[in-house]
Amino acid sequence: MPAHWTEETALKGRGHRSLGRRWRRVSTRWVIGRGPSRDGTGAVIGRWDPAAAARNPRKVSASCMGRRRRRVDRGAAVGALPEAIAALSRTLPAGPSPEIFRRAKFDRPEAAPALWQLLFRVLSPLSANGASASPAQEAQVRVVKSELHSQGYPRRALAQLPEDGSQGSRELLLALAWLLARGPLLERLLAQTRVRLGDEIPLCECEALARPGPPVPRVEADGPVDIRHLQWLMGKLRFRWRKLITSQQEQCALLGKIHSYTRGCHSDRSLGHLSVAETELLRDAEGGQQLLRRLESENVRLEAALRWRRQELVFWRWMDTVLGTCPPEASQPTFVPWIPERGAGEWELVARELQALREELRGAAEPRRAAWEARVGGWGPEWSAVQRASREAVGLELAALQRAWEQGGAAAQPHGPCRLVKSDAGASEGPGLRAAQVIEVLRSREACLEAVLCQLQRQCRQELARLAGALPGLIWILPPGR
Amino acid sequence: MLPADCSRRLVAELRDALDACAERQRQLERSLRVSRRLLRTWEPAETPAPQPTPAPETSGEAPSPESTPSSQDLKELELLTQALEKAVRVRKGISKTGERHKALSLKSGSAATSATTASAPSRPSGQASCRVSETKPPRGIQQTVVPARGLPECRLLSVGDRTRMGRGSRATKPGPGPRDQQIPPSAARQAPEAFTLKEKGILLRLPMAYRKAASRNSRLWAQLSSPQTSDSMDAAATAKTQFLQKMQMTSGGPGSGLSAAAVEAEVGLLRTACLLLRRRMEEVLSADPADCMQEYRCLLTLEGLQAITEQCLHRLQELRAVVGQQLGPWPVGRRPGASLPCGGGTDPLWSPQLLLYSSTQELQTLEALRLRLAMLDQQIHLEKVLMAELLPLVGTQGPHWLALCRAVHSLLCEGGERFLTVLRDEPAD
Repeated sequence: MPAHWTEETALKGRGHRSLGRRWRRVSTRWVIGRGPSRDGTGAVIGRWDPAAAARNPRKVSASCMGRRRRRVDRGAAVGALPEAIAALSRTLPAGPSPEIFRRAKFDRPEAAPALWQLLFRVLSPLSANGASASPAQEAQVRVVKSELHSQGYPRRALAQLPEDGSQGSRELLLALAWLLARGPLLERLLAQTRVRLGDEIPLCECEALARPGPPVPRVEADGPVDIRHLQWLMGKLRFRWRKLITSQQEQCALLGKIHSYTRGCHSDRSLGHLSVAETELLRDAEGGQQLLRRLESENVRLEAALRWRRQELVFWRWMDTVLGTCPPEASQPTFVPWIPERGAGEWELVARELQALREELRGAAEPRRAAWEARVGGWGPEWSAVQRASREAVGLELAALQRAWEQGGAAAQPHGPCRLVKSDAGASEGPGLRAAQVIEVLRSREACLEAVLCQLQRQCRQELARLAGALPGLIWILPPGR
Repeated sequence: MLPADCSRRLVAELRDALDACAERQRQLERSLRVSRRLLRTWEPAETPAPQPTPAPETSGEAPSPESTPSSQDLKELELLTQALEKAVRVRKGISKTGERHKALSLKSGSAATSATTASAPSRPSGQASCRVSETKPPRGIQQTVVPARGLPECRLLSVGDRTRMGRGSRATKPGPGPRDQQIPPSAARQAPEAFTLKEKGILLRLPMAYRKAASRNSRLWAQLSSPQTSDSMDAAATAKTQFLQKMQMTSGGPGSGLSAAAVEAEVGLLRTACLLLRRRMEEVLSADPADCMQEYRCLLTLEGLQAITEQCLHRLQELRAVVGQQLGPWPVGRRPGASLPCGGGTDPLWSPQLLLYSSTQELQTLEALRLRLAMLDQQIHLEKVLMAELLPLVGTQGPHWLALCRAVHSLLCEGGERFLTVLRDEPAD
């Protein structure tokens, strides 16, 4: 009996209905354990591997047993796959049972709705959090398809699945595996729904951008508007920012008070005082119970994630077999990704900026080159050596500059949310960032951004002056003082 | 009036900015509400009037403390007052031991409580724990005080099914004596001494269950974030890459190789590139070359920057060519995510690190700077959008051109805050 049949039987044991005899017809091309080993471990497969034996003494005796070896090891392997899948689905939000996964391999329609929902929760976790009821099946299907496409999912079969969500469980299983293989999906999901125990402050705006917030229903102004409407909107925006800043200052003052009033109450010495969430837990016991429940369920998920990490190899081997059961897709014309209108606008802006920059550089460099050539024309050969040295030096500088953005040079900047802890000014060792340093970094960033804004405004002023100069007979009096 | 499509785009952009600001304000208001409530006197969460039967849960909020007491309530309040008076009498005999012991008892009581929370008798309200001691502290000197303290406690507990005990208030009955005596029936409903964070905050202790869960949580996160290298992990990584390759191959050959997300990310990188190039250009142009060599270097730098800009533009055109019109059976979706400026792929931290601040002013400066950065980001984006839309309009002279020019100048060059004046230059004759 091929090895994978038994593991599917084991999965079947996790569900309630037996599938009948369909599984006998599964193609036997992909069999775990046969064929050349792709890696060195083989601990699950059960070949005699000294390293694996050292790690797993329980299986040593099994693999020694000659003829009974394979069956016993298959027994060991059989349990591993359902366990791994169970760990995976426990970590995921709305994770289905291992039985669903098994049925998805055979493309059973009853497994499809659960997988659509799972993918929807995975790909758009924010709407799942905020919305009171998850959207209709068709909407979910559309969101999943478009999100997968924009991330570059290679298989076209997904796009052709019907929108009522009744089919395609195998394709969805492949999509899930694809997402898992590409990056740290589980960790990212866990981090997004992390229970926040402390008072956090995000140091960069990544999260703020990634969470657009609930869409506000808005009446689109279709008609042409007067420019005074725009001025009014700008004024409103300015006012809102001012209000926001004062509210934020008040919140900081309150936080400072709470932190100092609860000094010494925390069991964790490095924190020293309670946070708002913890104090609230003490004030309102029911809310505290809820927090505790959420914390405990997160712990369960974290443990499942760690278990998954240890056991995921079995899952990948099984996914190979799933991929094998799919008919190969006919070769398609290469399809192109697309960018929605907003992205196109972004592209236009960048293109315009680069073109403007190119013109300015040309305007600065060409006269200088001409002047230089005129001066240096008759100079001797000893200059060429010096020139070469200069060229190399400049080349190195510019290469360093290019690296700065190609590597996403923000790695050096503080990133991510930080938990605020009030401590006396004397603490200079110990883990964690110091507010004074962060303030320095933020100030330098502020100076950069202000320079950019000033430069843009200067550009505008020049442009407008040029346009206004076309009309003689007018005096333009600029507003006083800056 | 501006043309319709231009208006639509600009109004949409400004409304987006306003919505983003409003969202921040909403979140901030929520936090402010919570913080303000914590700093006020902590009311008992349910009605102060003890109810013999559990009141039906209407909205989950505390019933109004102005509920008129029934005759049964009044009787129970009588009992309560009597018990409290008795307690005062008993305690008066012990109050010689002085205030300092009381303060000590609170602290020791709380220490004892945290150890004995698990074994604390379950109360009708099913509290997880009560901070300041309601169990008997082991201190000998407090033995005589405890029964007296315990008595009104039990009364209050049995009387009020739903009465939530204030965190430290009830047990601070060994407080100033005279106050207990003059408890009018209405005030007997409230704690004799209200709990404020300012005065009693340092007495708080976290419940054991929470502490265990929180430490386990941080341990698990640390385990999850630590880069683990073991054979099984490497094998899994290899298996994953192989799986991805196989998927790519079975889907009919390599695609264009770029997804929409990747294209957006690259466009973001090019935007950063433009910024850095421009900054370098300005540095070079503002520097005053002292001698020939420096002049030569300036020239070379400018030309080098020009070359790099050409490369970037070329790459942008390539990306544009790759991105085609939306074809095929894929549905159009709305991708709200802008490209992340931080390049979040570089080893993100899954659990937060600590940020230590020493004074409220420091915290306020930090937050103010953070908001200012967000505001500047938004202003720069709006400036670019407005420039792109409005400057072409000024270029074409239509009706009311002067007014338009003046308005555009104020929006673009002064951030909408100041206006210039235009005078007609009439020859004086």
